[in-house]
Amino acid sequence: MYRFNFQPVFDNLDMLAHGAWLTVQLSSLAMAIGLVVSVLGAVAKTSGIKPLRWIVDAYVEVIRNTPFLIQIFFIFFGLPALGISMSHNTAALVALVVNVGAYGTEIIRAGIESIPQGQIEAGRALALSPVQIFRHVVLKPALRNIYPSLTSQFIYLMLTSSVVSVISATDLAAAGADLNARTFASFEIYLVLTVLYFLLALGFSTLFATLRRVFFDYPAGR
Amino acid sequence: MTLTRRLFAALAATTLLAAPALATELQAVRDAGTIRVGMLVDFPPFGIQDASGTPDGYDADVAKALAEHLGVEAQIVPVTGPNRIPYLLSGQVDVLVASLGITAERAERVDFSIPYAGIAIGVYGGTDVAVAGPEDLDGKSIAVARASTQDTGVTEVAPEGTEIRRFDDDATAVQALMSGQVQTIGLSNVVFSQISGVAGDRFDKKFDLSSQVQGIAVAPDSDALLEEINAFVTAAREDGRLDTIHEKWLGEPLPDFVKTDQ
Amino acid sequence: MIREFSSADVLFILMAIRWTLILSLIAFAGGAVGGMALALARTSQARALRWISIAFIQVFQGTPLLMQLFLVYFGLAVLGLPIDPLLAAAVALTLHASAFLGEIWRGAIQAVPQGQSEAATALALSYGDRMRHVVLPQAMRTATAPTVGFLVQLIKGTSLASIIGFTELTRAGQIVNNATFQPFLVFGTVAVFYFILCWPLSLLARRMEARMRLAVTR
Repeated sequence: MYRFNFQPVFDNLDMLAHGAWLTVQLSSLAMAIGLVVSVLGAVAKTSGIKPLRWIVDAYVEVIRNTPFLIQIFFIFFGLPALGISMSHNTAALVALVVNVGAYGTEIIRAGIESIPQGQIEAGRALALSPVQIFRHVVLKPALRNIYPSLTSQFIYLMLTSSVVSVISATDLAAAGADLNARTFASFEIYLVLTVLYFLLALGFSTLFATLRRVFFDYPAGR
Repeated sequence: MTLTRRLFAALAATTLLAAPALATELQAVRDAGTIRVGMLVDFPPFGIQDASGTPDGYDADVAKALAEHLGVEAQIVPVTGPNRIPYLLSGQVDVLVASLGITAERAERVDFSIPYAGIAIGVYGGTDVAVAGPEDLDGKSIAVARASTQDTGVTEVAPEGTEIRRFDDDATAVQALMSGQVQTIGLSNVVFSQISGVAGDRFDKKFDLSSQVQGIAVAPDSDALLEEINAFVTAAREDGRLDTIHEKWLGEPLPDFVKTDQ
Repeated sequence: MIREFSSADVLFILMAIRWTLILSLIAFAGGAVGGMALALARTSQARALRWISIAFIQVFQGTPLLMQLFLVYFGLAVLGLPIDPLLAAAVALTLHASAFLGEIWRGAIQAVPQGQSEAATALALSYGDRMRHVVLPQAMRTATAPTVGFLVQLIKGTSLASIIGFTELTRAGQIVNNATFQPFLVFGTVAVFYFILCWPLSLLARRMEARMRLAVTR
């Protein structure tokens, strides 16, 4: 019979809490930068400039059809061969941004394409500048349309970030691994880690629901 | 909060189920006719996998010699650095011949035999990195395998400003050194001798951390089995069997610091 | 010990693809059974069944696959079962796939107009017949594209089994890299193999999706 021992977990809750905070920081930063990358990618894809579209297409396909684990290994261990060297936490951030950017590009592109042409023409008729049209007539409604897919992709990103400890980056999973290495209360530690990740996911989804009310709470007007 | 209360209720329930870690009876091993030996297969030359996927190496040969001594067959079970002790404590292997360094922390969880092997651990780094002692690690990065003896050793001596980077295993830590992601590494002489082959004179030894002796581990309260294992190690040290195996895998007889350690 | 990255290494990595495929297939087959059960429970009249399936899906979609793998891996020991990376990975990925397929298929079942089911009930069809002959065939049309899409996610997910020591494609790459110290080449090669596995499926999923959208608008 297995002997459960949660004592090491309770004795080191501060360590896990710190790890959870690092995960929140890392994934929030990756979401923010990832959003910018996604918008740029989507603009490039819908721009009609062919070479630009090809590059973004290649980026999106390569990232979406290879595992994150390989991407992060490649970025951390492989890129120094090309003289591109990043610290562990930077490499983790870059890998997460590169990853979520590819999915976000596709999601936002779909959002942009969902905007009826007539709406853009209406914007022109109102003599809005192209930048104004893009921001208010295209991007904002587009983001609103795809908000659920985008935010669930972001939560998925937070969950994926649990992998970054393989390159010694510091996060919740790394804190758990360190604790496991010291105390060997493996099952108990990973049970608590799983619960913590679940709470983080709940937290992010509550946050996203709030943000949605703040930014997109106006009548749909179709 | 009900969640906390429920959690504590669950804890109380599990405490009732508590039972000691599984001890291994010598007689049970003899009756079974096989001894299940946990061994690393990613720790050359102590534990490797040969071309056909069979475990081999110094530990494998010691395991076979031990089984012979006990008059049983050795059934080798591959384990990994982080999971080897859980394997033993959950009764899935009878013993670990898994290059397990003898530390006080580990001795609280498992019982060790007298040493059957040993490695020297030190800090290595690029030849252009100026480190002469632990105090020079301040402001530098050092890679170690998480939970390894070198992790403990480095953590102990490294000053406040040292950036200790923990990887899943030695191999990944070495990758980080080779790709320039860290300046130094805590490593055993054995692994370093292998990388210096390809890296030439790019890296050298900065200072010694410790010499580490390794023991065969059994679950607590497996006294009869442990006694028999100690008899085996003593005999094999004296009659040169361990020397022969060590010579075969590491190119030199069993080091003196292992032989004299009781 | 350190050698050049050779064709033998490429072959070794190539051979490891079979474990990635086997693991994916096991998880997909198990996930299909689990996912169907979850989808039916989620759309059933019984409140308890609905809650159980909602909780299951929430937990497995709201926690990292890596943690699920570790939990099953170390959980085997808690249950007194042998710690076996293949078993642990197969169980964890099956649970993971069940949750995702359950959610995809729930959506597909609910997308079938209510009237269909009501008409079938009016014809005195049993629940089993209603599902088998009326609802599921229609739901399948909507579900196929996202299901193939999820297969890609599953294949990529098997790479995490390397972290608990199961030698599939990613772990094979690590093993070779540890012997050759050519991370750029080795992980590049591994990435190409994953791409070759996943890309056709991605394209297929997208084609099916486009065809379906066309059918709907028509």
